[in-house]
Amino acid sequence: MRSARSSDPSGRVTDLSAEELYEQAPCGYLSSTPDGTIVRVNETFLRWTGYRRQDLVAVKRFQDLLSPGGRIYHETHYAPLLRMQGSVREIAVDILTADRRRLPVLVNSALVTDEAGEPELVRTTLFDARERKAYERELLAARDRERQAREAVERLHAQSQATSHALQQSLLASEAPRDPRFDIVTLYQPAVEDLEVGGDWHDAFVLPDGRLGLVVGDVVGRGLIAATAMGQLRSAVRALAIAGLGPVELIRALDAFVAGVDAAKFATLVYAEVEPDLGTATIASAGHLPPVLVTAAGEARLWFGGRSTPVGIQTPALPRAEAELALNPGDTLVLYTDGLIERRTESIDTGLARLLAAAADDPHPDALRRNLIAQGPDKDDVCVLAFTRTHAAE
Amino acid sequence: MSVLARNNVRVGGQPDGRPMLFAHGFGCDQNMWRFVAPEFEADHRVVLFDHVGAGASDLAAYDERRHGTLAGYADDVVEICRELELEDAVFVGHSVSAMIGVLVAARAPETIGALVLVGPSPRYIDDHGYVGGFAPEDIDELLESMNSNFLGWSSAMAPAIMGNSDRPELGEELTASFCRTDPEIAARFARVTFLSDNRADLASVDVPTLVLQCSDDVIAPAAVGEYVHRQIPGSVLVRMTATGHCPNLSAPQETIDAIRAFL
Repeated sequence: MRSARSSDPSGRVTDLSAEELYEQAPCGYLSSTPDGTIVRVNETFLRWTGYRRQDLVAVKRFQDLLSPGGRIYHETHYAPLLRMQGSVREIAVDILTADRRRLPVLVNSALVTDEAGEPELVRTTLFDARERKAYERELLAARDRERQAREAVERLHAQSQATSHALQQSLLASEAPRDPRFDIVTLYQPAVEDLEVGGDWHDAFVLPDGRLGLVVGDVVGRGLIAATAMGQLRSAVRALAIAGLGPVELIRALDAFVAGVDAAKFATLVYAEVEPDLGTATIASAGHLPPVLVTAAGEARLWFGGRSTPVGIQTPALPRAEAELALNPGDTLVLYTDGLIERRTESIDTGLARLLAAAADDPHPDALRRNLIAQGPDKDDVCVLAFTRTHAAE
Repeated sequence: MSVLARNNVRVGGQPDGRPMLFAHGFGCDQNMWRFVAPEFEADHRVVLFDHVGAGASDLAAYDERRHGTLAGYADDVVEICRELELEDAVFVGHSVSAMIGVLVAARAPETIGALVLVGPSPRYIDDHGYVGGFAPEDIDELLESMNSNFLGWSSAMAPAIMGNSDRPELGEELTASFCRTDPEIAARFARVTFLSDNRADLASVDVPTLVLQCSDDVIAPAAVGEYVHRQIPGSVLVRMTATGHCPNLSAPQETIDAIRAFL
């Protein structure tokens, strides 16, 4: 290569002649007819690609130098854009070099038109884009990895939810005892908005002495951990009840039990033992919402007996307690969790008042759900157990 | 969303003239017909549209399943024809839309009276005893090429007009959308286009058909145009002097003359 530096009057070295600038510019120059036939090309481009001038000029079209995929791109995007907007910028393509390597370049083209506006010539500059191409590949690979990781997490999450629901269903699956002396109806409705399972539960079982154990409880939190803690508490209640501890001692034993089961701490529950012939109920409530008593005459009231603190919290101010309640034939005792009454914008008293009105109307859990939950959004799980002493027992 | 808005349908020309429906191919939009369609407005009812996913179509109408085959695109066109109550229409399809036109003619024969297939290819990938011009890996490379290009990537991309082209054919508004669309949709359309095989659909074409074949078309080589001509009974093959894949842009007058002569 001939060195052809020139100087300005002050002796500073200025650039080469226009011809030298064209041939040795740090980018490829290529001119072609509108159909792509190469009519002029600079030395930089020849050096990059290994072609001789006579291999290209009047012999090849620009698109002939592209890889097959790039050729399609040229025909379907590049050429139409160039014709319609007069220029194309920053198109990434691979140039096939004389020794069949691929040279990633960024291409800019401008269309020269004649006086009638018809295309006459295309001027193209090409920039070596090897570094950029490698970097882009890394970016794309990172994007793909991120997408795969996200999908894997979503799959795991869906599996975990399905597992939690299956577990919860199996934990709640046992059938309530059937007997002509009473009716037990239960309801469990998961929250609509939250896909994670909750820690509410209900249970009803016959004790060895023929009395009934009834329980509704609520473990703090949601998800698999809350559901498993619920399962543990539910089993513990049954085991302790069968041992004949009675309500207040049962709650005390749970205090000791949850010391080793973190997720079960601060759970609330109401536990009742009912003598089905006489209708005598002994009830202990560990920080739970007060049961509703609905008489055969249709009067509903909250029952506040036997109240103390949530499981795992003991305070001398409110020691563990139990109290007795007499159920007459036709009376219904309703145990429930807060999803039945709580609304975000209301006080709990308003919710309880609404529950009393609904229970007086019809204490069946399905009716309660219809009348209470249909009026507001389901933000929390709803768990209800209704025990009715039937007239048949008289 | 009406069908007409979904496909950005533009109707011009003579309301009682014979309908002509111009369909663009893979890559750009109805502006591909900018130099050709106006020539027919004097004596035809000219209908232009964008395929869903292209140009100013409603991207929300893109349906992975429906638009996962050319038949889905054909169904869109059939809906346009029925909405406009077209009869005996001339369907002018460029590139992949040539095959879409073949499918439309089979699905709604009452609407289509003639087909003009510009640069058609019933199958782009070589097969036993058939030369389509491409190998499967070429199509993968095209997808990569699209992936690494910025067209449609950046919503802020408003191209500056460069060079001495002080008379761009498109106004700025169109320049912003021409050949640019959602990259995911573009990649899917590329797959559908270049992996389709419509060879079996050609023999049942029973309307007058013109095949326009360019010289030196790298996307639809001469042998493919001849194949289409042989397979469509009674079709007319015109070999154009225009080169490349887009005679509607590079040689509009020759394209217009060939269509006129056929009609």
